Amino acid sequence: MQVDAVPEENENVEEEFHIIENTTLDLETYATQYKGLAKLYRLTYIADHCPPLRVEALRMALAYVMTTYNTNLYQQINKKLQEALTSQSMLPDAIAGVVHNVPALDTQWIETTAKKAALKLEKLDTDLKNYKSNSIKESIRRGHDDLGDHYLDCGDLSNALKCYSRARDYCTSAKHVVNMCLNVIKVSVYLQNWSHVISYVNKAEATPHITEQTGKDSALAVTTKLKCAAGLAELTTSKYKSAARYFLLTNFDHCDFPNLISPNNVATYGALCALASFNRQELQKNVIASSSFKLFLELEPQLRDIIHQFYESKYASCLKLLKEIKDNLMLDLYLAPHVGTLYTQIRNRALCQYFSPYLSADMTKMASAFNTTVAALEEELMQLILDGQINARIDSHNKILYAKDVDQRSATYAKSLAMGEDFQRRTKALILRSAMLKNQIHVKSPPRDGSTGSEMSIAPASTASSRI
Amino acid sequence: MAMMANVLEQYVNNVTTLSQQGNFSQLCEFIGKSADVLAKNANHLDNVMGAFDVQQHSLGVLGILCIKYSLPNIADWEMLFIQTQEFIYTCNGEQVRYATDSYADLCHRFTQNLVEKKQAIRGIKILTKAISKIQLLPSQLTSIHADLCQLCLLSKCMKPALPFLQVDITEISKEGGQYDAKHFLLYYYYGGMIYTALKKYDLALYFYEVAVTTPCLAVSHIMLESYKKYIVVSLIVHGKIISLPKYTSHVVGKYIKSLCQPYHDLATSYSTSNPTELRNTLSKHTAVFTRDSNMGLVKQCVTSLYKKNIQRLTKTFLTLSLTDMANRVQLSNAREAEKYVLRMIEDGEIYATINQKDGMVRFHDNPEMYNNVAMLMKLDTEMQKCIQLDEKLKEMDREISVNPQFVQKSSGVHDEDLPGSSGPVTVKVPVGYTM
Repeated sequence: MQVDAVPEENENVEEEFHIIENTTLDLETYATQYKGLAKLYRLTYIADHCPPLRVEALRMALAYVMTTYNTNLYQQINKKLQEALTSQSMLPDAIAGVVHNVPALDTQWIETTAKKAALKLEKLDTDLKNYKSNSIKESIRRGHDDLGDHYLDCGDLSNALKCYSRARDYCTSAKHVVNMCLNVIKVSVYLQNWSHVISYVNKAEATPHITEQTGKDSALAVTTKLKCAAGLAELTTSKYKSAARYFLLTNFDHCDFPNLISPNNVATYGALCALASFNRQELQKNVIASSSFKLFLELEPQLRDIIHQFYESKYASCLKLLKEIKDNLMLDLYLAPHVGTLYTQIRNRALCQYFSPYLSADMTKMASAFNTTVAALEEELMQLILDGQINARIDSHNKILYAKDVDQRSATYAKSLAMGEDFQRRTKALILRSAMLKNQIHVKSPPRDGSTGSEMSIAPASTASSRI
Repeated sequence: MAMMANVLEQYVNNVTTLSQQGNFSQLCEFIGKSADVLAKNANHLDNVMGAFDVQQHSLGVLGILCIKYSLPNIADWEMLFIQTQEFIYTCNGEQVRYATDSYADLCHRFTQNLVEKKQAIRGIKILTKAISKIQLLPSQLTSIHADLCQLCLLSKCMKPALPFLQVDITEISKEGGQYDAKHFLLYYYYGGMIYTALKKYDLALYFYEVAVTTPCLAVSHIMLESYKKYIVVSLIVHGKIISLPKYTSHVVGKYIKSLCQPYHDLATSYSTSNPTELRNTLSKHTAVFTRDSNMGLVKQCVTSLYKKNIQRLTKTFLTLSLTDMANRVQLSNAREAEKYVLRMIEDGEIYATINQKDGMVRFHDNPEMYNNVAMLMKLDTEMQKCIQLDEKLKEMDREISVNPQFVQKSSGVHDEDLPGSSGPVTVKVPVGYTM
C-alpha cells in the first residue's frame, strides 16, 4: 500500500473529473447541515461525483428545491435525476419511470412558482419605487435587501448581487454596512468570486465599532461568519496558511450559518490547512491547545486523532487515517480540488519533521515509518532537498540520509561575492545607459521616403551579410 | 587639363597653409567642399597625396583617402590598403580628431572592402591602432569598435578584440553626429558573439542584454538577433530566461518577443529539466535555429541541461552510482555519465571523486573555505571595484547636479523664452571636447 502514489494519481484525474465509489458519507446528516443554495450545490456536487449516492442526493435536492422559487435549478435537477435513473436500469423509460418512481417534470409547479415569483418581484419593485419617491433611506435599503433576497431565492445570483450592492448607498449605521457586506459575501461565495469575498470581509472588519453597536453575541456571530468566509476564500485560492488562521479564529458557539458552511466543514478545512502549513509549535499552540477549536474537532473525531498522531510523530498511522477519510473529503465542493496538494504538503511536513532531530537517518527505517519503499522515499526526499525544505544529502550507496552541515561563514562569503558581482554588473549597465541617453542613441524607424540615408538605424542587410 | 592641375594645386596649397596655421576647423570645411573636385580628378589623387606629409597634413590625406574609397571601383586595392595602413599608423591624432566622422567613415569602408575580399584578418591590427588613436580616453566607444569586432569574428581570431571588450564604456564618441544606434547595437551584438565563441557566457549575456535594452521605437534586426542569442545564452548560464531590466523598451515585449516563439519554446522545455523534451523542441524547430545560425548554440544548451541536472544531484546526494546517475539525468549509460562527471570535475563545475572499482561517485562540498590569502585578495579587488564604481556614480551625480539646465528644471523655473528649454528631457552634459 503506497500512500504517496495516491495523491498524484488523483491529481491527474481531478483535472478532468473524479469519481468516488466508496464513501462512508451519511447523506441524511450531511444534508441537514446546510440550507439554501449551499445545500443544493453540495448535493449536486455529490451527485456528480459519487454514483452510489447519486439518486439519493438528487432526490433530496429535488425535494428541497421545490420549497424555493428556483425553477431553473428544479428543471436541471429533475433532468439529472431522470438521466441517473434511466442509466442505472436497463428497462425502457416508461417502465423504469414506474419502477423507480421517477418524478415527472411538474410543469404545473413550475408555472405557478414562476407566476408567484413574478408577482412577488413586481410587488417588491413597486414598494422600492414608492420608498424611493418618498426618499426614506432606511426603507430604500430594506427594499433593496428584500429584492436581493428574492432574487437569491429564485437563483438569479447576479441580480441579487446587484441589489445587495445597491443597498450600500443607503446604509446609515455600522450595522447596516456589516449587514450589506454579509449579503454580498453570501452571494459572492455562491458565485465563487473569491477576491470579492476577501475585499468585503476586509470592508466589514474595517467598519468601526461592530462590537459596540450590536450585542456581544451577534457581534461574535458576525466575526465568526466573516472569518469563515475569508477562510473559505483563502482555501480556494490555495493560501492554506492564512485559511487555517481564519478558521482557527472562529467561535464554535456562534458558528451557525447553514447557507454558508457547517461547523464540520470548519473543523475539516481548518485542521487540514493547519496540518499542511503549520510547524510543530504553531500546531501545538493554535490547534491542539486551542479550547475553541477543540470543540470543532469533537465533530470530526477522525481528524482529531490525525492531528494528535501527527503531533506525536506516529506518521504511519496518521497517514493511514488520512487516506481513509480521503474519499469523503473528495466529495466536498470546495475542498476537493485541494485535497491532493494538501495531502502532499502534509506528507512533506511529516518527512521534514521526522528528520529534523537527526544528524543521519537510516532510510530503510524511515521508509517503513512512512509506509513506502526506499526508492520512492529517495525520490521524495530528493524533491524536498531541491526545494530547500530539508537540509540534507542522501548517501545512495548506504541508504542513509545525512543532515547537511552548512558553514555559515563560507555561505556568507559566497553570497557577498555574488552580490558584489551583481552590483558591478548593474552599475556598469547603468553608467553605459547614461552615456547612451546622453548621446541620444535609440533605434528609430527609417524615414518613410528614405531621403536621408544616414538616419537609417535598422540594418537588416548589414547584419545578414556580416554574420559568421 | 591645366585647369584641373590648377584645382589640385590649390587643394595642396590650401591644405599646407591651413595646416601650418593650425586652422584645422577651417581646413575641414574646405576639404568637405573640395570633395566633388577631387572625385572628378580621381586619376591624379596619388600624385596629390605624394605632395603631403602624413604626419603634418593628416587631414589632407584623410580627405583624399575618403574619396578614393568612395569611387565606384577601386583600381589598385593593394596600393590603397598600404596607403590606409600607413595613414593610420602615422597620422596625427590631434589633427584627425577634427574630422572624426571622415576618419570613422574611412575605417568603415576599409572594413567593408576587407570583408568583401575575405581578408578580414589583415585589418585587425590596423583597426586596433585606429581606435586607440582616435579615442580620447580608453573607455570611449567609437563606431570603429564594431568594425574591429566584425573582423575578429570573420577571421575567427577573437583575442585582439578582448582588450577593447574588457573596458567598461563610459563615453560614446559623437563623430560629428554620425554615430548611430546601428554602430552601438552592432558592437554589443558582435561583442556578445565573441564572448559566446570563447564560451564566456556570463559576459556574453551582459553584451546581449545591453543590445536588447537599447532604447528603441522600432524593431531592429540586430536587437532581434541579440534577443534570440540572449535567450539561449541565458539558458546555458542560468537555466532560465533572466528577466530583462525594467528600463527595457516596450518594443521588446510587444514585438520582439512574439518573433522569438521557438526560442521561448526552448526555454519552456528547458525548465522541465527533461532532456528528451528539450531534444523534441530542438528537432521541432531545427529549421528555424539553423536559419538563424544558432544551431550550435542551441546544442550547447542541451549539453548544459545535462550538466545542470548533474549539478542538481550534487546538492541532494553524497554518493550515487554511475548507473543510477545515468538513469536520473537520462544519459544513455554509465560510461557517458562518467565522461560528463569527469569533465565537470576538471572544469571545476562540481566537486566529486569517481570510484571506478564499484562505479560510485562521491560528491563533496566546495573545498573553498574562504580563509586563504588568494581569496582575501580577490575579495579586496572586488571591493575596490565596487568602490570605484561608487565613486564614478557620485561623480556623475555631481556632474548632473551642477548642470545649468538641470538646475533650472529642478528649481521649477520654467522660462519658455530661454533657448534649449524646449529640448529633449534627457539631461545634456556640457561637452568640452567637441570638434
